Amino acid sequence: MSLTQDLKNEPIRNLSLRDAVAIRSTTTLGEAVVAMRDKHLGCAVIVDDAHRPTGMFTERGLVHALVVGADLDAGMARDYAETKCPTVNQSEPITRVWELIQRDGFRFVAVTDDNGTLVGLTGQRGLAEYLFEYFPQQVAVQRLGNAPWLHAREGA
Amino acid sequence: MTDESDGDDKEFIDPLSNYEPRTYESEIAQSLVEDPVSMIPSRPYAHVDSATSVASAVQVLHGLNASCLLVVDADRLVGVFTERDVLERVADNFPAIANRPVRDVMTADPLVVNERDPAGAALAAIVAGGYRHVPVLNAGGDVMGVVSPRRVFAFFERHFQRGPR
Repeated sequence: MSLTQDLKNEPIRNLSLRDAVAIRSTTTLGEAVVAMRDKHLGCAVIVDDAHRPTGMFTERGLVHALVVGADLDAGMARDYAETKCPTVNQSEPITRVWELIQRDGFRFVAVTDDNGTLVGLTGQRGLAEYLFEYFPQQVAVQRLGNAPWLHAREGA
Repeated sequence: MTDESDGDDKEFIDPLSNYEPRTYESEIAQSLVEDPVSMIPSRPYAHVDSATSVASAVQVLHGLNASCLLVVDADRLVGVFTERDVLERVADNFPAIANRPVRDVMTADPLVVNERDPAGAALAAIVAGGYRHVPVLNAGGDVMGVVSPRRVFAFFERHFQRGPR
């Protein structure tokens, strides 16, 4: 089986989904920032009463808000959210996430169940982790550090 | 072949006669090991110097629709300033720190990869290192670009376009 076939055959639920930060349309910028920072996530998913995604507030929206001088305590996250919330069903193939990232330029993708309820979050990191685990002998063995190879290997 | 120094007529045995080149499951696997990081797209990239104000750096991020700025002084990388830094270090106090230098809120001494490292090192830095943007340097320490998940995925896509293997 090749990587391209596995990406087409494996469902999105096989990615290591992260717990999403779910906020409401009434959540302020400041509240969203605190929630995102607490979970070390770069986005918050705006959900309705049925916990279905309706929007996505990201770090990029935060940058926009700061540039225009928004008041974090009074401004609403929804006003700086993506106009379209990228959403996939967890049973769809992983290629859907790949397309949303590479073709449409999204960084995060909200994942739902068959009822459209938010169940998690994936995106660039989820795909990168999938590839990391797909090629353990080629990727996981790489050294991490700032010394060039020649320096690191000197004397070895 | 004879060795005239001691008159011993030993048959030459190639010490590499049993060498078998490494084999890979796929072209992508081979590429991750044998192709250098420089094969991954790493440009364009945006940069500022460390004395740039936080407000200006945020403006640059917004104006370029960028997620990361390399912070470079005298042609040497000294840090990165990303959307994550905005979330974690800037947002709460933006009015108060807007005029401070970006060096105060950047991520200093970031994890980097060398352009001659195996391409797989870039993916390892992103996943195991936990950094979404990884600057690429050459052996002389010059900034060559920055790799990101999307750019690594584009590297993979080049293989996809040659058909499933």
